Amino acid sequence: MQITMTVNGVSHTRDVEARLLLIHFLRDELRLTGSHWGCDTSNCGACVVWLDETPVKSCTVLAAMADGRRVRTVEDLARGGRLDPVQQGFAECHGLQCGFCTPGMMMTARWLLDHHPDPSVAEIREALSGQLCRCTGYENIVRSVRWASEHEAAQPAGGDGGTGRQAGER
Amino acid sequence: MDLETITEYRPAPGAAWQPGDAWLGGGTWLFSEPQPGLRRLLDLRGFGWAPLTESRGGLEIAATCTIAELARWRPGGPAAVAWATVPLLRQCCDALLASFKVQNMATVGGNICLALPAGAMTSLAAALDGVTTLWSPGGGVREVPVIGFVTGPGTTVLRPGELLRSVTLPDASLRGRTAFRQASLSRLGRSAALVIGRTDGPGLVITVTAATPRPVQFRFAARPSPDEATAALDRAGLDRAGLDGAGLDGAGLDGGHLTWHDDVHGAPAWRAAMTRRFVAEVAAELRE
Ligand SMILES: Cc1cc2nc3c(=O)[nH]c(=O)nc-3n(C[C@H](O)[C@H](O)[C@H](O)COP(=O)(O)OP(=O)(O)OC[C@H]3O[C@@H](n4cnc5c(N)ncnc54)[C@H](O)[C@@H]3O)c2cc1C
Ligand code: FES
Ligand code: FES
Repeated sequence: MQITMTVNGVSHTRDVEARLLLIHFLRDELRLTGSHWGCDTSNCGACVVWLDETPVKSCTVLAAMADGRRVRTVEDLARGGRLDPVQQGFAECHGLQCGFCTPGMMMTARWLLDHHPDPSVAEIREALSGQLCRCTGYENIVRSVRWASEHEAAQPAGGDGGTGRQAGER
Repeated sequence: MDLETITEYRPAPGAAWQPGDAWLGGGTWLFSEPQPGLRRLLDLRGFGWAPLTESRGGLEIAATCTIAELARWRPGGPAAVAWATVPLLRQCCDALLASFKVQNMATVGGNICLALPAGAMTSLAAALDGVTTLWSPGGGVREVPVIGFVTGPGTTVLRPGELLRSVTLPDASLRGRTAFRQASLSRLGRSAALVIGRTDGPGLVITVTAATPRPVQFRFAARPSPDEATAALDRAGLDRAGLDGAGLDGAGLDGGHLTWHDDVHGAPAWRAAMTRRFVAEVAAELRE
């Protein structure tokens, strides 16, 4: 069947099998391998992407269900050669070791900060629930998100918040 | 999860149901386990049902309403004042193990039709005397109270090809005061015991889910004391069965066979003890 979806601002039309999952469409068809495929049972969250502005586990969505919709993946975080503050936070605070869980963690963290710019540790932990990290013990991931929150807040008014984006883009 | 046997995905409207078909809600369960018997997925979103419809009669929740939509919803108009139970909607959405990433896709109908004891949408709708509207493949429509819709872990009254169209929560139930208690082995874990009390005029309705294989309800004509409420539970035989960790054949409510549910999310004896405590607590909270 033929589907069209906008991924990271670019429209893609492809013929796909009905059973193809969104995570495989992104990785295998579009070669956007940043999103990871982990547990395959909807539990680990490595595959989290945004579907029409909301984070979902892309291993529980058919590519066909995303027909006509917008998808955002981790590849869209850095722009114009500048890392998103969430990415910077993970680098500064050692929020990753093997990096397998990281794309999903970052996409959820980006959504959280867009909606709650100053989340508490408890709110960060709750937002990241359902996403598993086998390496870090989570402490540094939570610190990374706090780092991003504090550095975005510290940006001068009217600036792009370090995101490299124009005002209103997000 | 890859569902390798699926050969067709299509919108549900106009599709003639056949063996090997599954109604697709949010897919959060369908895609989380192997489904070797399935061939076609019929996507209910194709109906384009309004997720939540307020009326004088109550609140109609479409089967395709996502759990995230329900959690966010607030009534408008006179209902905003009258429907005291609205916070319960959010409490039940939060009672799922599923994080908001799953709740963004998972539907209320999918949760009820999956019929897990820990199905918090069943808990909600049963506690508020919700009534399901079911569409049969031949075009028939029937209504079944939620309390009788789930018949056991993973089983419902749905016939082959029948689908859940919506659940209606009656206006009168939405006006009651409620008390909510839930226990799980971890803070955001899968519910092992969930008790909801709701005032019903001078009376009280207590609904037990998660701890039992299917919803169990106690209706009191007047507000019971905590002791009176737990006595009702004991009389139903649930308490003894639970503490023994054994089923109680033939002694259940409504002539059913009631046992405490037993799986990795909680031992039967613990579920029984938590339920008894919660029943006493909701009776005390709603007595004032
Ligand atoms: C991480 C995780 C945690 C979870 N935690 C919980 C939990 O705590 N409690 C719980 O109960 N569940 C839980 N689930 C299971 C499941 O995600 C939820 O029950 C969810 O609400 C199912 O809704 P859905 O729309 O995704 O259903 P789907 O996966 O689309 O469907 C579920 C079943 O219901 C049928 N169905 C769907 N809609 C209808 C309809 N309108 N009429 C007839 N049949 C229909 C489908 O054919 C299928 O058999 C969890 C799942 C995951 C991945
Ligand atoms: S691969 Fe999607 S949740 Fe693990
Ligand atoms: S960094 Fe290895 S799984 Fe999270």
